[in-house]
Amino acid sequence: MGFGQFLSAPETKLRIVTYRDVFQDSAKVASIFGEDYEKLSAVIKLDPQDISKLSIKEGDTLILKNSFGKVIVKALNSGYDHSHTGTAYMVNSPWSNALVPEDSGGTGVPDFKDFEVLASSAKGGKVTGIKEII
Amino acid sequence: MENDYYVCTGCALLCDDIGVELEGGKLNKVHTACRKGFAFMKGCTNPMECAVNGERTDIDSAIKEAASILRNAERPLIFGHANSSSGAQKKAIDIARKTNGFIDDTSSFCQGPMVEAIMEGKLKTCTLDDVRHKADVIIYWGADPANSHPRHMSRYSYFPRGKERQRGWEEDRTAITIDVRKSDTAEICGQNGFYQIPVKGDAEFMDAMVSALSGKIPKTSYDLDKKKLLELASILKKAKFGVIFAGLGMVYALDDREPLYKLMDKLNSVSNFHLIPMAGHYNMRGFNENLFEETGYINRVKFSGEEVLHGPEYSVVEALRQKAVDAALVIGADPLSSLPRSVVRYLEEIPLIVIDPCHTLTSVKANVTIPCGLVGVETGGSAVRMDGIEIEVKQIVDTDRLSDEEIMTRISEAL
Amino acid sequence: MASVMEIYQLLPKTNCKECGKSTCMAFAVDLLSRKVKVGDCPPLVREDKYKANYEKLSGMFTPVDNVTETGLIVHADKCIGCGNCVVACPVNVAADPMGAGSGKAPTCDRIILKVEDGIVKAMNVQECRRFGENKILCVACIDTCPTKAIEFV
Ligand code: SF4
Ligand code: SF4
Ligand code: SF4
Repeated sequence: MGFGQFLSAPETKLRIVTYRDVFQDSAKVASIFGEDYEKLSAVIKLDPQDISKLSIKEGDTLILKNSFGKVIVKALNSGYDHSHTGTAYMVNSPWSNALVPEDSGGTGVPDFKDFEVLASSAKGGKVTGIKEII
Repeated sequence: MENDYYVCTGCALLCDDIGVELEGGKLNKVHTACRKGFAFMKGCTNPMECAVNGERTDIDSAIKEAASILRNAERPLIFGHANSSSGAQKKAIDIARKTNGFIDDTSSFCQGPMVEAIMEGKLKTCTLDDVRHKADVIIYWGADPANSHPRHMSRYSYFPRGKERQRGWEEDRTAITIDVRKSDTAEICGQNGFYQIPVKGDAEFMDAMVSALSGKIPKTSYDLDKKKLLELASILKKAKFGVIFAGLGMVYALDDREPLYKLMDKLNSVSNFHLIPMAGHYNMRGFNENLFEETGYINRVKFSGEEVLHGPEYSVVEALRQKAVDAALVIGADPLSSLPRSVVRYLEEIPLIVIDPCHTLTSVKANVTIPCGLVGVETGGSAVRMDGIEIEVKQIVDTDRLSDEEIMTRISEAL
Repeated sequence: MASVMEIYQLLPKTNCKECGKSTCMAFAVDLLSRKVKVGDCPPLVREDKYKANYEKLSGMFTPVDNVTETGLIVHADKCIGCGNCVVACPVNVAADPMGAGSGKAPTCDRIILKVEDGIVKAMNVQECRRFGENKILCVACIDTCPTKAIEFV
């Protein structure tokens, strides 16, 4: 791996909004350690424009990081008919929670549904497994 | 027939019309439960074993060890409760009282503010049965029941015919989604019934609605289709029985509840509106009510002798961040999965007890794990639906595991 | 579901007739109504340059083995068992107004749709309004489904 590989991956700031998904929820009650749960959880849904800005293809993996944590997840096209560049969607899961800011401003309610990350291509790096998160 | 129905504990709708077929003492077929409910009732593939410090042991030793951890702690945290029966919740409150502990549940970082406002009488509410029989304007706000409570629309809020809604949803009901993205629920409400707002744009949208309802031109800092908003206002004005289902999207977007109070006041001066918080886990509302009965607070409590302390500093998040607790008992929740990683890391540093039917991310780190029966399948109990109605939950199959209530009772006695 | 044009665009568009149809357009029409399968187009399967399109089309037409006489298909992988279609179906409402037609557990067995093991099941499909002599283009179950799990072909 040359030095250039690390230089060339463009980084993008993304605002993350989380949501719930019934298929992922159902997979969780079957087993939170299961393959299905990882497959349905460790994903981020992006605007196609952001996908090209990151010079990746749909299905590639992305590193998401901020000062609270870092995970590798799979990038998907959101499929929404409205443009939402700069905002990306993640299903609520241990993967999104690894990135949620711990400071709740003393309120006791962290910003689960709205936080920022820096995204860059994982260059084929594997999705973070659940055991690596905890 | 009536008596053959069971209750699904997959979410806070607590659907009580579930039919089952058994084979060899196990569930073979489940009728009428949704995908999520069916998965929940089928149970997990990784049951938790009874263990102390990673060594398998019998239930008596595990309970003894749990009690000794709690006895030796000065400020234990008793957390979870959203997925446990009311009986177990009441015992949990006893345990917190006996140990001068902190007690909090998942509502602390979820629907707590809404449930609190309702219990304090600050928001007008109604039951799901009222909704089904009477509601003509239904608003899903920051809520996506198609994913969180799959049978919400078919059983109560939109599609079924009701006493005063005989002609069905097309003619008798208007469903509206207000959300930051076009959710599956928004798809059902159609283009005319979907109001897209920016992230954290909820408070402004509420203000704009109040203006529109007062016949003023609504103003927002973001782009908004004014004509569509005025149409919305006229729909809301004509409502005979309106209901707002407040989802987590709304709860998290509001810094305080003032804009919502103002909107509800306005709505109730021009028509008739109610609010129901979309509690997720099957008995979160139950915990809020049980603790309220005992202490006057719905969550975030610390016992200190005769005194009951309450405030954000006693929330699970702040208690862990400030490292204010020195042991933890977790029942009916999985904080390692549902809280920010940076907050829950502290749980690994203190003695930890987990009571759950299944392995969870939290149980992996626990010193003591005590398996309980799955409420609604292996054991019974009672629980409170998202609208505050108490539902009796029946046992379906036999198990040799203790119920969550029995385990909590025995721990409490051993203290 | 995709339109005929979208499907046509993914076919070789050579009108080679190997599939037995006179044009690729005719094949596209039959594909849409599931009279033929994606694999029935020999060049698409055979030639490497069509590989991407072949995969796309195969993705669009996941095999279904439960097409009913009325052409009603339930995509079990998409269904969330919400029961919206169950309570919306006019036949269900007529046959079981207080049970399935009210969003509750069914109380009679003459209904068309019910939820079993978390997924919708179709039965008595001959009763469907889209079928028989006085058929109408009923869309109640399609319109109310949040995940587009019901389809008629
Ligand atoms: S909607 Fe909730 S309570 Fe009803 S069957 Fe589904 S998971 Fe169970
Ligand atoms: S098309 Fe109409 S009658 Fe036929 S199953 Fe669907 S809703 Fe029922
Ligand atoms: S409406 Fe769609 S998702 Fe819901 S039960 Fe019917 S087919 Fe399944």
